[in-house]
Amino acid sequence: MELILEQMPIVLPALNAGFIQTLKLFVVTLVGALPLGLVIAFGAMSKFKPLSLFTKLVIWIIRGTPLMIQLLIIYYFPGLVLDNPIWGSGEKGRFLAASVAFIFNYACYFAEIYRGGIQSVPVGQEEAGLVLGMTKSQIFFRVKLLQMVKRIVPPVSNEIITLVKDTSLSRIIALQEVIWAGQAFMKGTQGISGAIWPLFFTAIYYLIFSGILTVLLGKLEQKLDYFR
Amino acid sequence: MKKLIALLLTGCMVAATLVGCGAKEATANPDADVAVEETASDLEYVKEKGVLVVGITDFAPMDYKDEAGEWIGFDADMAKGFAQKLGVEVEFVEIDWDNKILELDGKTIDCVWNGMTLTDEVKAAMDCSNAYCNNAQVVIVPADKAADYQTVESLEGLAFAVEAGSAGEAEVTALGLDCTPVKAQSDALMEVAAGTSDAAVIDSLMAAAMVGEGTGYADLTYTVGLNSEEYGVGFRKGSDLVAELNAYFVESYAAGTMQECADTYGVAAALVEQK
Repeated sequence: MELILEQMPIVLPALNAGFIQTLKLFVVTLVGALPLGLVIAFGAMSKFKPLSLFTKLVIWIIRGTPLMIQLLIIYYFPGLVLDNPIWGSGEKGRFLAASVAFIFNYACYFAEIYRGGIQSVPVGQEEAGLVLGMTKSQIFFRVKLLQMVKRIVPPVSNEIITLVKDTSLSRIIALQEVIWAGQAFMKGTQGISGAIWPLFFTAIYYLIFSGILTVLLGKLEQKLDYFR
Repeated sequence: MKKLIALLLTGCMVAATLVGCGAKEATANPDADVAVEETASDLEYVKEKGVLVVGITDFAPMDYKDEAGEWIGFDADMAKGFAQKLGVEVEFVEIDWDNKILELDGKTIDCVWNGMTLTDEVKAAMDCSNAYCNNAQVVIVPADKAADYQTVESLEGLAFAVEAGSAGEAEVTALGLDCTPVKAQSDALMEVAAGTSDAAVIDSLMAAAMVGEGTGYADLTYTVGLNSEEYGVGFRKGSDLVAELNAYFVESYAAGTMQECADTYGVAAALVEQK
């Protein structure tokens, strides 16, 4: 215990720096994947067959393979196969590659949730809108969208909480997020070697952050508690 | 109207899914000539980039961070000297040790310079420099049981933890001992500390730095040495940087700077003469 207190001033800043990487990846993924998911959802629902089939193929590939493999492919393939390492060296390139992999992966999951949400709005409402002379886009934005948003909050919250923890997968391409930072003290870094507790301590970071998110998303759900 | 939306969405989808590929193609064309040259000369490639990217892990005393966050260590200092000789910057990148060959072939790093044991696997996958350090694989056991395990024969029946793909794993497997591969040498130490394995096998240089009094694993110690082996630097297959580095080693050994550097980090006894 004393040893832990002694190591704390060195370990905490390192873990904080790692957690900032985790947070950055989390935010970038959400900002990219939430809108991209809507585009993909429209693609999957399109009446234009080739487009919807293509979109469904992409969703199948992305959801059907482990995110860890996608990370490896996106980061290493350009250099290995095309002989042109597009991501650049160092931490920046790794972060960029991880962001792209996470955005695509999560966009595909969000797309399916959006599709469910949109299709859950009764057809009668669309028909009523048409009778009133509204255009398709008016019906989507004024009638369906808000109802869809309300319905998808719980499943999207679920994905968001999962994302917090999935960011740790990025350590496979050596992105130095919080678990990497914790593990570094086992091997030895900054004069501390063989310390096991920082690795397990990282769990606290995830727990606190997902706690905050749970509260925020709960509030959002309450706010959207209109028409029922 | 419907068709227009469908068209627009197709555009969006294609653009969105191919963003990565688009970037690749865009940069691939102007770089095509360079790519051809690269295979001809790794040295030219590195010089053109102006930076030698060194793949490392945090591994005292070879590569580790000082208080200011600067990479130091015997390997790090030698790498800095080598880059200086080439007239390029040096950049240290922490990698996942399991992916070192991927990183090298994917050109996300230019060399692996991190107390790497020259195993048959390593030599098959990379072009390596001359050996510059001797090393051994040693057995790690809890200090209170060390007296019982001073010979190779006494190791029979112990459950070992070893780093997957390491020289230690090869040794333990060759002896027919029971072993569990784990992700890193440090994980192997944790296994012993936690009592989930009876013993571990790791590099002696690492053992000297990480177990025993005054370290994080004060109640562990090392006993038998299983084999002796050598450290080298790994480059891409066919790289002309290998000859360049060997020449640099000879030069700095003759000048005594290599020995000085080894003294600084306490690896002088393990240094291999360069000629």
